Amino acid sequence: MHTIPLLSQTQKVLMKQKIRDFIFDELIFVAEPEKFSDDDDLLEAGLDSMGIMRLIMFIEEQFGVTLPDSEIDPDNVNTFNALEAWVLQHKS
Amino acid sequence: MKKLDSTILQALNPSDYFTLAMDDEIRRENMPGSLCGFALELDKEPDIETLQARIIEFGERFPVAYASLQQQGKRFFWCQREQNTPLFSQHRESGDKSADFHKNTVLDLINQKQAREDISPISFHLISSANKHTFLLRWVHPFCDARGIDLILKFLCTNEADQRLKFNFPELDSLVNLQLEKYKWWQKIALFFKAKRYITKLDQLPSIIHADTTKTPKQLNFTNVTLTNEQTTRINSNVRKHVGMTGTSLYYIGCFMRALHRMDPTQKGEAYCAPYAFSLRKNKALSPVLANHVGALFAQVPKALLNDRSALFQHLKNENMQVIRKKLDYAFLPVMWAASWLSLEKHGKELRKSYASGTERSSFWFSDIGKTDISEMVFFDSKINSIFHLCQITSPPALAFLSCQFNNRLTFSYNFIEPLFHAQWIDQLHEIMLEELLME
Repeated sequence: MHTIPLLSQTQKVLMKQKIRDFIFDELIFVAEPEKFSDDDDLLEAGLDSMGIMRLIMFIEEQFGVTLPDSEIDPDNVNTFNALEAWVLQHKS
Repeated sequence: MKKLDSTILQALNPSDYFTLAMDDEIRRENMPGSLCGFALELDKEPDIETLQARIIEFGERFPVAYASLQQQGKRFFWCQREQNTPLFSQHRESGDKSADFHKNTVLDLINQKQAREDISPISFHLISSANKHTFLLRWVHPFCDARGIDLILKFLCTNEADQRLKFNFPELDSLVNLQLEKYKWWQKIALFFKAKRYITKLDQLPSIIHADTTKTPKQLNFTNVTLTNEQTTRINSNVRKHVGMTGTSLYYIGCFMRALHRMDPTQKGEAYCAPYAFSLRKNKALSPVLANHVGALFAQVPKALLNDRSALFQHLKNENMQVIRKKLDYAFLPVMWAASWLSLEKHGKELRKSYASGTERSSFWFSDIGKTDISEMVFFDSKINSIFHLCQITSPPALAFLSCQFNNRLTFSYNFIEPLFHAQWIDQLHEIMLEELLME
């Protein structure tokens, strides 16, 4: 059994903020990003297949994780909370 | 060397030059240049008065819509004309009462030859007969890209005046230039060489071209096919199964390559190669409306992989991932920037390699605008029944596969240059393409 070092709450907040910044700076336009909650639907907001690809590459580079191809699924990428949970699963 | 004789409204950006170089290449084939079309098929005649007023408002907001494309030295500019040509025209069925009136009119418009300086950057056409109404936006590619046309259409269909003011705000510089500004000069050079190596590697495998290049291009023709809801659902499910949610376009590209291969497995060449543009705009952004803001990528599949569907899709997915991982998509931008300072002829020779050589890197042109979000849109009191798009193509490849999804139904527009291809061949190709798309 291997142990997964837990990220501190601050690290988690920073990670989520970096992902938010990347998505809103590079991938989708939202008039008031600060009002976009962690449970709002990113796919409905315009995150498309090319955007997801870029996002995954960004996350892998930034946070040193490998996100398996087989897990690229709407349930893992449709909200910031889902993304966070998915990344944390693989952050070892 | 020509001198500018009127006020400059806007300079072209590097991505506009890329499309202008293709316009030049098409014109050298005695064809109309890089004309594109986006058509809405409507259930009844729209409210013409309001439509016309909205188009006039569009021209006032974006005066470059009336401009003339003129050359100063090696550079090109959108310039003010002495007299503006109306943006809107109506085409009513009179002499031609054939079932093909709408298609023939669209073909006339998309094949219309005009000097580069004379042609309107964009024009709006309403084609009307007793039971059918087609609204066509026709534009020259340097003026804007497909996403821009989507925004123009949304501008026209936005009824609230204050909401229309949101289009093109904030006013952004060319996104290609903004991307390039992120890099230091030495990084740009590194990217430049990275892209050159990428292109050189692609060119090591001669592309398979099906066009009969012994023939002289005469006109663009097209065949549209709209699939049923059931077929669309099955294909969407196959997309998820074979390429996942990150590779929708790759499924169409892979199936189209296999369909072409099945048409003639002995066709000369070593690989299929297809370009696909990626947008630098943020999705759902209302700015920038005009100009081109895209980079180019290529999908290349060696012949040997075509017989194994799963290996083919895996290859396309890996290739796409590597391209993004190695930032080869952005690498193309400095090449476009550097080439934009060359003459159009040199631009073509440097960047497209195949320029006027009778060969071509692309086996076909490809564009997928995906699910359009105008399904709920009422177009000036008319319901939109279907949509399709069109584009002039260099010869070779003389063939383009354009897809979109509207009201849960896929529409494919096969664009081809006659007589390098003919309609019967395209019909056969579609039959095989459909088999490929529906194959489990």
